Amino acid sequence: MSEQFHKLTVSKLEKPIKDAVRISFTLPKHLIKEFSYHPGQHLLIEFEIEGESYRRTYSLNSCPFLEEDLQISIKRVKAGKVSNFANDQLKEGDTLKVMKPKGRFFAQITAEAYKSYYLFAAGSGITPIFSILKSILVASPYSQVYLFYGNKNQDSILFNEELKSLQAEYKQRLEIVHILSNPGLWSSWESWKGKKGRINSREIEDFINHHPPIAQQTEYFICGPSSMNLDVRKSLMELGIPADLIHIEHFSANQDEGIRKIDSVDHANIELSYQKNSFHFEMKKGQTILQGLKENGIEVPYSCESGVCGSCVAKLREGSAEMKTCMALDDKDIEEGYILNCQALATSERLKIEIP
Amino acid sequence: MPILPIEAYTSQEWLDREKRIIFGNSWQFAGFMEDLSDPGDYLTVQCGFQNILLVKGRDQRIRAFHNLCRHRGTQLLRAVGKKQKALTCPYHDWTYDLSGQLISVPEKEKEFPDLEIDKICLHKASVDIWRGMIWVHPKADAPSIIHYFDGIAEHLGPHDPMRLIEYPDTKIEKLIKANWKIVVENYIDVYHLAHLHSNTLQMYDHAKAEFGFVNDHYMFWEPLVKKYKDNLDQLIPYKRIAEMTDEYIGAYVPWLFPSLGLSETESSWSTFHVIPLAPDLTKVVLRSKLEPMTDWEYMRLGMKSGEAWKKIMGVDTKYKSEDPNDPMASGDFMEEDIFACEQQQKSLTNPLFSIAASAKQGESPIRNFQQIIAGWMKTEQN
Ligand code: FES
Ligand code: FES
Ligand SMILES: [Fe+2]
Repeated sequence: MSEQFHKLTVSKLEKPIKDAVRISFTLPKHLIKEFSYHPGQHLLIEFEIEGESYRRTYSLNSCPFLEEDLQISIKRVKAGKVSNFANDQLKEGDTLKVMKPKGRFFAQITAEAYKSYYLFAAGSGITPIFSILKSILVASPYSQVYLFYGNKNQDSILFNEELKSLQAEYKQRLEIVHILSNPGLWSSWESWKGKKGRINSREIEDFINHHPPIAQQTEYFICGPSSMNLDVRKSLMELGIPADLIHIEHFSANQDEGIRKIDSVDHANIELSYQKNSFHFEMKKGQTILQGLKENGIEVPYSCESGVCGSCVAKLREGSAEMKTCMALDDKDIEEGYILNCQALATSERLKIEIP
Repeated sequence: MPILPIEAYTSQEWLDREKRIIFGNSWQFAGFMEDLSDPGDYLTVQCGFQNILLVKGRDQRIRAFHNLCRHRGTQLLRAVGKKQKALTCPYHDWTYDLSGQLISVPEKEKEFPDLEIDKICLHKASVDIWRGMIWVHPKADAPSIIHYFDGIAEHLGPHDPMRLIEYPDTKIEKLIKANWKIVVENYIDVYHLAHLHSNTLQMYDHAKAEFGFVNDHYMFWEPLVKKYKDNLDQLIPYKRIAEMTDEYIGAYVPWLFPSLGLSETESSWSTFHVIPLAPDLTKVVLRSKLEPMTDWEYMRLGMKSGEAWKKIMGVDTKYKSEDPNDPMASGDFMEEDIFACEQQQKSLTNPLFSIAASAKQGESPIRNFQQIIAGWMKTEQN
């Protein structure tokens, strides 16, 4: 029983920078409610390319507090099937199969809040962060935003123009610091006078020292490659920030990154309870639990199949399993025994799992 | 007609109840943001009966705890200072980290074998920053400071206090032999401005003052008199505050309940913090911030304006006196106010004391303030 896709029409295509495309969708009236979202959430899209279908998740960069079309931005990834298709072949008026927005990485924004938000983004990781940033400025008038944004060079900064104009509009409430790992000498009119390097623990401490919070209630959002995310979180925790104030999203442009080889058990016995029914089946070596379920005709929820969306979550009651990647769960979930069916392989003979 | 009884100004019992009910339940001024500039900086503030400890973490957030060791209650820290990593109680060396968590107890195995250290934490209080000032509230679940000051922003001056600079010699501390409410009532008394201060605050046009309450907070604004305004360039004592454009110019002098007055003028931004010490003794701490300027500019402007005052406004005092310490001949409006407060307090225990009448407009803020105090005092349930 996988969830429903809706056909959405591409209403607009733009090129914010050379190697990225920005896609807008206008929602038909009847879908507006279903597609309402929190800033930071993502869309799962199924692309049909040369007869094959590919599922990818993309964070929304639009702002749910404005009457804006849904919008995502896709940066070209070398040899990436989908990103190249989106950049080169997609046309306005095309339709794509899209699932309603989801994801647990989002900011709960209220008009009365008096908060300081620290946002950390690298590369395409800016997309959900941009949505959060804009939403805070638009919908939380007392709150302050501090953005630390890493890129390769001047020309790879997605949202550069948009950020500049927000900066001008919200002088008192927004501070942005860029850091470039490889600022180009020739790629821009002026030479780079800002920070050079990457977002690391020294830079983070420096950033926070230069931008101490005004409102004392703080929250931290991080989105970038997983190695950066973990570094930022570690640095923040070393500064004494409680883990529950730190939110992380791994951006999914390189969904191949960080996948582990797992030595799974052959013919593992699975007992599943789901919606008051129980199912028994046997799995093959190297199969994910989701693959095993599908092969046995058992319909369970899933969508991205890449460990990002969290819709295939299950609880392990007995036995052991290991996941290839698991961006949708945090350490606490894992400790409590939650797994993602699309990523989990059996590492014991017998497993008992339950879908909540 | 008097709204509060005389004991409200004279009795220890009444003050104790105010400390519990009002000062134990409201947001109070604790200092400027700059007072805690680096990780490890700390300061302590008294909120009624509760002493609150503020300490800055490495993440630049301020933590607020009750300054009370969980062992036997000793105050952990004194006044202001710097603590890099931990707070150690002077009595038996119990030690807490900067998140308030107890981390070590001497002779733990022998003396406290069953004590679960990780379950003990300092009591939390609330802290926030508003308008460049640090505010504390003794309750951990205090209502938001934004909510507390809801609706007053539009009545305050255009100043950005975070940008202004406090010059070290502008801080003043005074002890006033009067109840803290007498001091507040003097601050918000519009009627006295043209009289007690006829020769000290004559640059403002008291007849055109606009004032009133927003919730428990008092708002006040008055324009400059024409002569002062026309010659402002020569008369202004310090650099003009950049945000104080002609459209905004005037003196904004609100009272933020319960214990902080602001004085936001064309050339300075000051806090006037009232701290009750006894029924008839109050400490006030005045701090002022100015536009950034060099020492030389500061001196030059002071001299220039002094000269110009003599010429244009004429300098005179309300009374002449042979005594160089006579407050009424000091030419300093604060000395005049202190004098008036102390003289009033002296009469409260006189059996003949009563208030014959209260000014319809100019003393209405006093009646309002007393009403607010009376309202708070009623909230206590026995
Ligand atoms: S289906 Fe999305 S995480 Fe498994
Ligand atoms: S009272 Fe603090 S350690 Fe004993
Ligand atoms: Fe006065």
